[in-house]
Amino acid sequence: MSRVAMFPLMVMGTVVQSLLPVWPLLGSVKPPVLPALVLFYSLKGSPRLMWAAAIWAALLQDGIDAGPIGPALIAFPIIGNLAYRVRNEVFPEQLVTQFIFGALGHMLVTLVFLLVFTATGARPLAFSFGALRMLGAFLSGMVTLPVVFFIMHRFEESLPQRRAVVWQ
Amino acid sequence: MRDRKPVYAAVLGILLIVVFTLPAGISLWGKGVLRGIVSPLQRGISGVGQHVGEAVAAVRGLGGMVEKNRELSAELVHMQAELNTFKNLDEENRRLRRMLDFHRQEPRQMIPCEVMSRNISGWWNTVRIGKGARHGIQWNRAVISPDGLVGKTLEVSHRTSEVILISDPACRVSARILRVNAFGVVSGHGANASGHPVVRMDFINKDAEVRAGDEVVTSGLGGVFPTGIHIGYVQKVERDESGLYQSAQIIPRATAGLLDYVFVISEPEDNPTGGGAR
Repeated sequence: MSRVAMFPLMVMGTVVQSLLPVWPLLGSVKPPVLPALVLFYSLKGSPRLMWAAAIWAALLQDGIDAGPIGPALIAFPIIGNLAYRVRNEVFPEQLVTQFIFGALGHMLVTLVFLLVFTATGARPLAFSFGALRMLGAFLSGMVTLPVVFFIMHRFEESLPQRRAVVWQ
Repeated sequence: MRDRKPVYAAVLGILLIVVFTLPAGISLWGKGVLRGIVSPLQRGISGVGQHVGEAVAAVRGLGGMVEKNRELSAELVHMQAELNTFKNLDEENRRLRRMLDFHRQEPRQMIPCEVMSRNISGWWNTVRIGKGARHGIQWNRAVISPDGLVGKTLEVSHRTSEVILISDPACRVSARILRVNAFGVVSGHGANASGHPVVRMDFINKDAEVRAGDEVVTSGLGGVFPTGIHIGYVQKVERDESGLYQSAQIIPRATAGLLDYVFVISEPEDNPTGGGAR
């Protein structure tokens, strides 16, 4: 897994996420490309890579987004850590695992955002809107993570692999 | 190997404390740096997207032509494709000319800007424009299009600016219903199920005879939005629960989904010293 490639991939993910349309029917959520990338590195990478991915993705999301810096900096390390802790108990390659992790991960991110925005008064939030958004987060997370996993797998496969040194 | 989890957790904790207690100026500077990294790529991809859209439009026209006229020569098909391309160019030209005419006719000093992208998280109704402080854009300035009021600048970095749209709940505009000369406050309520922006006008005098179809414009009170900028039309009138005021649902004319270019008013009309850069 390439550490060097992670940073431009995150920037690319940021651009893709900002260009993707919102789902008005489901509380105007966006497909969570950056949280999905964090989950990918948590399920497949080393702890260092997981932390780097979580913090870099959070800085990008909070930096690009309007409003206060901070919600993603709380949410992304939480989902990254949780996924990393249970990854030995699950099969990350399985589609069902990706559905569940994507859905729960994005729901958790949305919940943290809701709490931070409510606490800081940055957004006037109604219960119905919050519930709709959580449902949207569940569905969009479920759809996005398998797609990101597939693309990232293909990308990692296309990179030149470092060979082990063998003494002859 | 030593367990480094506490170190990572401590670093993250310190980072969070630093971030949450950052002064607004430093926070905005950091945001500007990150936006500077992402914006060239965003601009490039938006440009490619526009070209792909034009090509798809050309191919669509070409497909219909081929189905209807199979016997036509390759040259004719080629000409049709070219014609479709010219049509797209003509349409774009007309749109740009309209913008230019609007820019010339408008007495206020305006800065034309290209819309680069939408909000990344979907929590805010904002768009990013490709001009910032170095182009003379300042915080809290009205953003308009030939169709009417779009919103105002929320965060201005060196090269880009974040514009909060009138459909966002945080954007409040002092407004006036032209026909009855009734004042009120227009605020956003997000988007409905079909994605159209929902805007309401509250605190309208209860005795004013407001009707569906009445034109709503900015009142000029508050110093941010100049007087007389078109906001939209009244769709439905409701009595406030307390019975003291009326509220009205507004259809905003400057639909955010159709925005390509917008104009930032460089100086507020009635309050030249108000606002200030942020």
